[in-house]
Amino acid sequence: MKCEWVRENITLQVYGELADDARHELEQHVARCADCAAELKVEREFHALLSAEREAEPSPNLLAASRMKLQEALETAEQGGFWRRLAFDPANWLRQVNFSPALASAILMVGFAGGLGISYEVFGHPPGPPATTKAPAPAEASITGIQSITQEPGSNQIDIKYNTVSTLETQGSLNDQRIQQLLLFAARNNYNSGVRMDSVDLLTKKPDVLQVRDALIYALQYDTNPGVRLKALDGLGGFVKDDVQVRDAVLQALVSDSNPGVRTEAMRLIEPVKADGSVRGVLMTLAAKDQSQYIKSQARTMLAQLPEID
Amino acid sequence: MERVSENRDPTRDRMAGQAHRIDDTILIREAQHGNRAAFEELVRHYDQAVLRLALHLTGTEQDAQDVYQDAFLKAYKNIGSFRFECSFYTWIYRIVTNLCLDHLRKKNVRKEDAPVVKDGDGGEYDLLDQVPDGRAGANPERDLMRRQLGARISGALERLTPRERMVFELKHYHGLKLRTVGEILHTTEETAKNTLFRATQKLRGQLADMR
Repeated sequence: MKCEWVRENITLQVYGELADDARHELEQHVARCADCAAELKVEREFHALLSAEREAEPSPNLLAASRMKLQEALETAEQGGFWRRLAFDPANWLRQVNFSPALASAILMVGFAGGLGISYEVFGHPPGPPATTKAPAPAEASITGIQSITQEPGSNQIDIKYNTVSTLETQGSLNDQRIQQLLLFAARNNYNSGVRMDSVDLLTKKPDVLQVRDALIYALQYDTNPGVRLKALDGLGGFVKDDVQVRDAVLQALVSDSNPGVRTEAMRLIEPVKADGSVRGVLMTLAAKDQSQYIKSQARTMLAQLPEID
Repeated sequence: MERVSENRDPTRDRMAGQAHRIDDTILIREAQHGNRAAFEELVRHYDQAVLRLALHLTGTEQDAQDVYQDAFLKAYKNIGSFRFECSFYTWIYRIVTNLCLDHLRKKNVRKEDAPVVKDGDGGEYDLLDQVPDGRAGANPERDLMRRQLGARISGALERLTPRERMVFELKHYHGLKLRTVGEILHTTEETAKNTLFRATQKLRGQLADMR
């Protein structure tokens, strides 16, 4: 094993990028060669020197401001035309369907798509036997798109596969995984704010489930309805102390939410953790620069209650 | 951001990782159909890492925010052409590294002083000030040495070529595998390895007196 090969691969060894067999060969060589062992030691020390300086993370303020600016830009941005022209948009279609609000017993109305096969005669030929179908008649469901069209050679039979949407119904308790999945879907994707409000309201009763907490954080950060955002805050309030992700989301709402009621509630929720470094930093920014006199005054009051930092 | 968890279950972490990838696939498909909320959720999965990379390569909050904005707007406009041939992670990193490389190539400043960052109001603050000191009573002498080290490292990084700096940043500070780095930079793992070797040799030469 040549020292030259070892020197060329010592960096990869320190970064854990050598293949197992190469790593073994290198270690075997270093055990016998004092020069290469010294070189490895120097490389490791250098790696430690570079790693001693921790990278600073972007501040919550910078992240919140970047997200807000992006959101504004996305409102006027357009996606590339090709897929939008060709792809059928079931979400857009679903906006035209009337949804009922979720009931207290968690009955939800949801739409699903299924594939069907059906044969039709070629136009202009004498009518053949009635078309066979494996699904309910088209009158009972709405067609959402055509999957494929094929014709047997020499035959007047055409096979068409098409998709339909039919409305289904399910019942269950909040502990049912299926009900939870549908509530999570409704909280993020429904166009009707009433349905989103009902689903978030029910989800706040299960904040210990991680996906539920993620959905509440999502609602707090992105829902366009302030009532839904307030409801999400309700569910997250108990986790501000122990869950850093919840704390950051509440801080972001305090800094950048457009609704004063949401900001006021967020301010109330971070009070128990006001001594935390990141919270203190946000409070200092709000106390100095916030447009709202109430928020400014509340931030100053909280900071006054904290011990001085040396 | 990490959740506070006293006893991490590796099986749960793996399943959470798999659930995260499945979640991304659903979000991407929804975004491709024009669901902006799905795209915004996708952004939330990656934007902290993107902003961190942009901040450290551009050096100013304003430039980092511009790169962040450009990267995700580009992703939004082109998500229709995403074919799942690579992960979304690799795809978005590819976009942001290209933007950062453009920025580095245009940049013609040799920083000899401590890394200084400009905030939104135009005021400057030392990047090292943002690293919290966990101890109640910090050692001023140690703080000074750390600032000097940070300044020297920053100066040495400035002397790398844009590509060397990018490979080093992605490997050393973001912990990516060199194979992933190669995919992001549209090159081979072998080329990424050679670039990393050159970058570390240059940095060792610049910082030899600090060991």
